[in-house]
Amino acid sequence: MKASVEWLKEYANINIEPKELGDILTMTGSKVEAIEQKGNDIKNVVVGKILEIKKHPDADKLVVTKVNIGDEIVQIVTGADNIKENDIVPIAKDGSELPGGIKIKKGNLRGVDSCGMMCSVGELGLKVEDYPGQIEHGIMILPKEYEEYIGKDIVDVLNLREDIIEFEITSNRPDCFSIEGLGRETAVSLGAPFIAPRKNLDDINVEKVNEINGLKVDIEAPDLCYRYIARVVENVKIGPSPEWMQRRLRACGVRAINNIVDITNYVMLELGQPMHAFDINSIDGKHICVRRAKQNEEIITLDGEKRTLNTENLVIADEKKPVAIAGVMGGENSEIEDTTKTVVFESAVFNGASVRLTAKSVGLRTEASSRYEKGLSAENALRAINRAVELVELMGAGTVVEKYIDVYPTKQKINEINFEPDRINALLGTNVSKEEMIKIFESLEIKVEGDKVIAPYFRPDLEQLADIAEEVLRIYGYDKLETTYVNADTTLGVKNKKQKLEDNLRRTLVARGYSEVCTYAFINQKDLEKCNILEDNELNNTIKIKNKLSEDYTMMRTTTLPSMMQTIATNYTKKNKDVNLFEIARIYTDTKNNIENGEIPEEPTILSLAVYGEQENFYTVKGIIENILETANIKRYEIEKEDLDTSMHPR
Amino acid sequence: MKDKILELTNEAKDSIQEVSELQALNDIRVKYLGKKGELTLVLRGMGDVSPEERPIIGSLINEAKEEIENLIKQKEENLRNAELNEQLKKETIDVTFPSKQRGIGSIHPITKIIDEVKDIFLGLGYTVADGPEVETAHYNFDQLNTPLGHPARDLQDTFYITDDIVLRSQTSPVQARVMENQKPPIKIICPGAVYRSDSVDATHSPVFHQIEGLIIDKHITMADLKGTLEIFAKKCLGENTKIRFRPHHFPFTEPSAEADVSCFVCGGKGCRVCKGEGWIELLGCGMVHPNVLRNCGISPEEYSGFAFGFGVERIAMAKYGIDDMRLLYENDVRFLKQF
Repeated sequence: MKASVEWLKEYANINIEPKELGDILTMTGSKVEAIEQKGNDIKNVVVGKILEIKKHPDADKLVVTKVNIGDEIVQIVTGADNIKENDIVPIAKDGSELPGGIKIKKGNLRGVDSCGMMCSVGELGLKVEDYPGQIEHGIMILPKEYEEYIGKDIVDVLNLREDIIEFEITSNRPDCFSIEGLGRETAVSLGAPFIAPRKNLDDINVEKVNEINGLKVDIEAPDLCYRYIARVVENVKIGPSPEWMQRRLRACGVRAINNIVDITNYVMLELGQPMHAFDINSIDGKHICVRRAKQNEEIITLDGEKRTLNTENLVIADEKKPVAIAGVMGGENSEIEDTTKTVVFESAVFNGASVRLTAKSVGLRTEASSRYEKGLSAENALRAINRAVELVELMGAGTVVEKYIDVYPTKQKINEINFEPDRINALLGTNVSKEEMIKIFESLEIKVEGDKVIAPYFRPDLEQLADIAEEVLRIYGYDKLETTYVNADTTLGVKNKKQKLEDNLRRTLVARGYSEVCTYAFINQKDLEKCNILEDNELNNTIKIKNKLSEDYTMMRTTTLPSMMQTIATNYTKKNKDVNLFEIARIYTDTKNNIENGEIPEEPTILSLAVYGEQENFYTVKGIIENILETANIKRYEIEKEDLDTSMHPR
Repeated sequence: MKDKILELTNEAKDSIQEVSELQALNDIRVKYLGKKGELTLVLRGMGDVSPEERPIIGSLINEAKEEIENLIKQKEENLRNAELNEQLKKETIDVTFPSKQRGIGSIHPITKIIDEVKDIFLGLGYTVADGPEVETAHYNFDQLNTPLGHPARDLQDTFYITDDIVLRSQTSPVQARVMENQKPPIKIICPGAVYRSDSVDATHSPVFHQIEGLIIDKHITMADLKGTLEIFAKKCLGENTKIRFRPHHFPFTEPSAEADVSCFVCGGKGCRVCKGEGWIELLGCGMVHPNVLRNCGISPEEYSGFAFGFGVERIAMAKYGIDDMRLLYENDVRFLKQF
């Protein structure tokens, strides 16, 4: 999850560099994957005004311009054809730097001096879709009113400076898949107060109803949908969202689309609750039904792809058709369009595992599904929808109907855990005082009531003592954990007979010049054929891999011969002389077909040898085999001729 | 008679002087000192000597015999020495010639690391446990707090034989089997091959090796875990190695940690191997999750324990400076013999 430091600052006072902040957060459990400091890679690029454009004397496709860059007027030669006199453009001055480490210096183009470069959107490391009206192959034309910024640094003028920290969110912390959650972690980790700007979002004075403007909601699969809240916004004016919102979306890697869709994405980023918005007119019968899909039911998702569903998939449907794949993506048929007048906001909570499997089966992992699959708090859903309509009002995007529908068949369980400070210290090997533990819990909004602690709604992962012990330790400091030695009864650490024999065999073989190899236990049918293992041979009764990675590795070996032959071949191809190899490895035999009955096969350990070289013949190998038997303390043996093995020389 | 003796003595002396072979020397001995030797014959002719002179002549003969005997002995020794020298000279060898013996073989680097780790933990009183690689989903997942629907069970990560049988994706099922069958205290390490559905490249392989450790007893703490791993890191990676715990999440431990070690290449200053961080991620670990203990019939109220696990290839690559994992499975003898 990407988070801009600017946004995190809404939740905590941050006055350290991103690198230091990242290190601190990593040590409290929010592992930093990357830090991006936007704007730092653009140097000496300023706003300029094109005063004059003339043809290049010796090149048809080039023009010679005079540009005012504030403190001077410079001559720049360019091949761009989308500029005209009086345009305001970004100018990379002589000695400037652009993203990707590109350095711009004074040059000479076909005999004419050029003192800098006009920049395109891409050359500034920006995306065309974030700057409507700009083109991919051409100079970025700045608004006329930017004339007052001539000579000013483009990074400041376009407000490009942005510190972004990317976090790895572990599967137990869906709450941290939000700016609010990361903001809370930031505050606690810095020992700073948590500023909670969205405190009372669940405390609203609107009427809970069963029907808004004819809209009804039913959950047919309460095992997969825990809560479904809907609110309606009328008189919607679709348009672009404000710059501050677009900027934050951009920083978190989300593309701005329009005010309504941007609100749903913004709330998802801010509070961790994915949201969806429908055009009410696309809902047949104005009846939303959350149900399992029918086998082979089809839906075209917002990305324009047709998806085929099965009965394990949950859909949001109307009376005739599915309008969204629950928790994954909306359908094209209910998309918000420029003409949309009435919008239905959805804030729902689904079974995490179900969303994950659905996302996989339709091959579509989205921002929403990656949050749902971790298991979201049903309590948070109401906060999210209230935040969404708050933003609608703030942005003047429409009129919010002062009613809400809330189908909540399975109330979220709030976990209570016995608070036993001594046991926590005993598990951790620490000496943290009860008071300090309480302080840690309170900073994490874990309530302490007598000898119990109550996990906040956004922390369903806290279920038992070990869970709250981890909370204590990560805030107290993993680095403060002492290193102690296990204080327990002495135990005997010895190898068993088989382990000792393997050690001894290795020792003998190495002393006799053999090198140990390590091969894959996978083989394929061709490998067996290459070893002349005939069809009726029971070695063909192999254990097959259902989801094989490639045709090379389709089954588990019943013999080590193919692996050893492969190794010999590799060495021979590399022209190695005198090769003596051995391997102690397993084979996998299911002679009794136990696997079908859910039982595991036998895995005998096999010692295999292979040699080639001028000094080697049957008798040198026989000598080694005698050494092996001696090592294994086997004194009575006979060596016989084997005629039936089809892999070996028939004579 | 005196003259005769003197003459014979001188004659013998000259012969001894001249002789250059042992056989000829022996002939001289026979000629003068043998039963029918010339000096012996002189002795026999003593009958003609007057009784007064007999003792004088007798001792003269004996003196002469003794002198000749000694000369022969000396000469014999000289000749033997010369002969030996001659033989030794002939048998001189050039020690700088290459030997004909084939060299000793080598232990695979993966086995070497596993052996090293085994030795450390055997010394700490752990035993080495073993288990099946073709494993039931019950042991590979259910018992380890990874219920149906958990991402770790995905087809994209795990090889399935049937819906209920998998190629173990970790060595932890061995732990579950031991916990089910043995009462605490339990102290085991489980090395072995594990399988993940990863395509082969320089840092990934569908088969790799893991070593996991597990201890269950009364009063085991997370600080003990850190202490144990510190011993391990120092023994395996060098006495100056430092260890750092970071919070993390694993389904079968709680609290969980990722353990980093100070970079054993640069000592923590920052280099190419540690990507300038000074720390290298070594392993995942934590206190055994109470659900896992309960699943295996052990009371988390009475017992606690820790578990840790790491990839052998990663350690081997870092320790031996191997930059491509594929080298470990290619088994080119020129590579193998470097270990």
